Amino acid sequence: MKDSLYLAWRYLHHHRAKTLLLVLSLTVFLGLPLVMRAMSAVIQQSLMARAESTPLLLGKKGSSLDLVVEALYFQPKGIEALTAADADEVDATGLALAIPMRTGLLAQQFPLVGTSLDYFAFRGLESANGRALATLGECVIGAEVAATLGLKPGDPMLTSPSTLFDLAGVYPLRLHVVGTLKPSYGPDDRAVFVDVKTAWVAEGLGHGHQDLATASGDVVLKRTDGTATANAKLVQYSEITDANVDSFHFHGDPSSHPLSAIIVVPADDKAGVLLRGRFVNDSARQLLRPAQVVEGLNAQIFRFERVLQIIVWTVGLATALMFVLVMVLSWRLRADELRTMTRLGCSRWKAVQIMGAEVFLMVGTSVALAAFFGFVIAHYGETWLQNLVLRGS
Amino acid sequence: MASEPGPAGLLTMLDSSTRRACLVCLLGLVALGCSKKGAPQTPASNGERPPSVYTVNYPLAYFAERLAPEGVEVVFPAPPEVDPAFWKPTPDAIGQYQRADLILLNGAGYARWTRTATLPKSRLVTTADGCRDTFLRTGDTMTHQHGPDGDHAHEGAAFTTWLDMRLALCQASRVRDSLIELAPESKHSIETNFEALTHDLTQLDTRLRGAAKAWGDQPMLASHPVYQYLADACGLRIESTHFEPGEALTPKDIQDLDSLLEQHPAKVMLWEAQPLPDTEQTLGDRGITVVVFDPAAQPPANGDFLTVMTGNATRLACATGGETCR
Repeated sequence: MKDSLYLAWRYLHHHRAKTLLLVLSLTVFLGLPLVMRAMSAVIQQSLMARAESTPLLLGKKGSSLDLVVEALYFQPKGIEALTAADADEVDATGLALAIPMRTGLLAQQFPLVGTSLDYFAFRGLESANGRALATLGECVIGAEVAATLGLKPGDPMLTSPSTLFDLAGVYPLRLHVVGTLKPSYGPDDRAVFVDVKTAWVAEGLGHGHQDLATASGDVVLKRTDGTATANAKLVQYSEITDANVDSFHFHGDPSSHPLSAIIVVPADDKAGVLLRGRFVNDSARQLLRPAQVVEGLNAQIFRFERVLQIIVWTVGLATALMFVLVMVLSWRLRADELRTMTRLGCSRWKAVQIMGAEVFLMVGTSVALAAFFGFVIAHYGETWLQNLVLRGS
Repeated sequence: MASEPGPAGLLTMLDSSTRRACLVCLLGLVALGCSKKGAPQTPASNGERPPSVYTVNYPLAYFAERLAPEGVEVVFPAPPEVDPAFWKPTPDAIGQYQRADLILLNGAGYARWTRTATLPKSRLVTTADGCRDTFLRTGDTMTHQHGPDGDHAHEGAAFTTWLDMRLALCQASRVRDSLIELAPESKHSIETNFEALTHDLTQLDTRLRGAAKAWGDQPMLASHPVYQYLADACGLRIESTHFEPGEALTPKDIQDLDSLLEQHPAKVMLWEAQPLPDTEQTLGDRGITVVVFDPAAQPPANGDFLTVMTGNATRLACATGGETCR
């Protein structure tokens, strides 16, 4: 058998171009369904795992899928915002913990997520380097953000301006990276986490500026008893430091500040049911189970996969026929060669073994390559696949 | 043959035991790849350490210490030389607060750092919230305008809430409730301790109101604007200055004092700590008696919150004629 394999290998090696073409065709034929299956399983599994670990999600009435995609996977969908008062309302019930989520902004092309410290414990996110968020203007970055941008604790990071063509809009805020997270193999790896108050500052709801009580005359337009009016020269801070942190403040009622969604963690199952009951007839808000929404998404993915499978199998059948045709034609062309082999003393059975070994080596290599790509996609392409699906939805 | 390149060469080179070893490695890799990835999805636990309660001032630490069952650690981490209202903790100190099982805030804008710090909301209790409809203002409000957003003001709320003993009692009741939530098995002992604390605070309240009643409508001065809630609770007419006990009065301070006395002819002045002898002499020359009324935001060198407040009540009652001086 070894010598048959050797002769087959020498033949394939000699006809490299033809072999490569056939192996690649077979790899695509075998790999596509495998990769598709792996992709589908990975997406469904990872989407479901994250959704199932999030008991309830509160958001404004509207597309439940957009709400889940933005709040859980940090893909901006432009969902309507709740307010901080909604989180207080959930907390006040005593039935659940409300974790605020403010999404929609970016920091150096990665999603900026404003939340509370409870989020890290809730998701089981562990620190790799540095420390937790301590004050306004600090950020903790996911493992992928740290690796891609080469950032470590102590480095600065800029938020992306939310209003690129609006000169009077909000300018980027310079954040301080204080910690990096261990990989969690999910959307948290590519997020930049800040305190929800920092997110509000980044979107212009809060700011810090020179103390008007001590500002010079060219900054203050008018100063009356207890009132000062400043002109545009007033220095507003674009970075929060120890020296100016006390000057940062928010305008308006703090309870009216926006939240994209609220992760609701009920104390127990009964509390969850009670809470859902309270929001059933709410005309402006929806309290949903993300797992239910993702199940719907998975069903769509499954339907799409079925259609794709039919196409892939049709193409595959054509490839297989082509392979058989190529092999048959090749054997015909090699009739003289086989005759010579027989004359040299090679039995017919040996000749069949050599031909079989050629097919075995080519098919074997294709199977190995297809399995390798399927494995790589299934195990290392999870986040990439998630983004591919969620961005397009 | 063995020196031939490619799969055939490899096949020839590998003996059966090596092939088995490779197969085991391959299966191992596959198993590793198939194992569940990612971090655990359970909330972080505090492990085996005893439950801890962190506070932003000494009165809250005192209430927590009086009420907490054995085994609960009460920590007030501000250094002794700073006023906790204006303390700026380091990130490490904030980290300690973040790890606490319960964080007791005063409310009314006390401890400004808590507005910008990242603290776990689920473990925060703002003790003064809901104890009053509205908090008193400091009067240091600056309204300003810049940009198109219109006027806005950085209003300051008076925050020394615990100098009104009824408010202090209300705050203590919040401490009681949160401790019961933290250690439900010790509910009975916490409630018993709260009854004792209620008794002590009520007695203090009665004495302070008695002292204020004896003083009636007469004006009073204060070295710092920290007595708003005491004045509000007891009906005292207090005007505040900004004098430091450890600093001598400047000519301008004396001039301001004299102008204030023209409008507000006070005979008693409350000080957070004993002023310098020269200051006391200056005040004495104007017929003003110094009464040390320590707000006890920091732990005293001797005694505790109750002994400090009892001392305050005794000195005030003596100065106002509410009680016989001892």
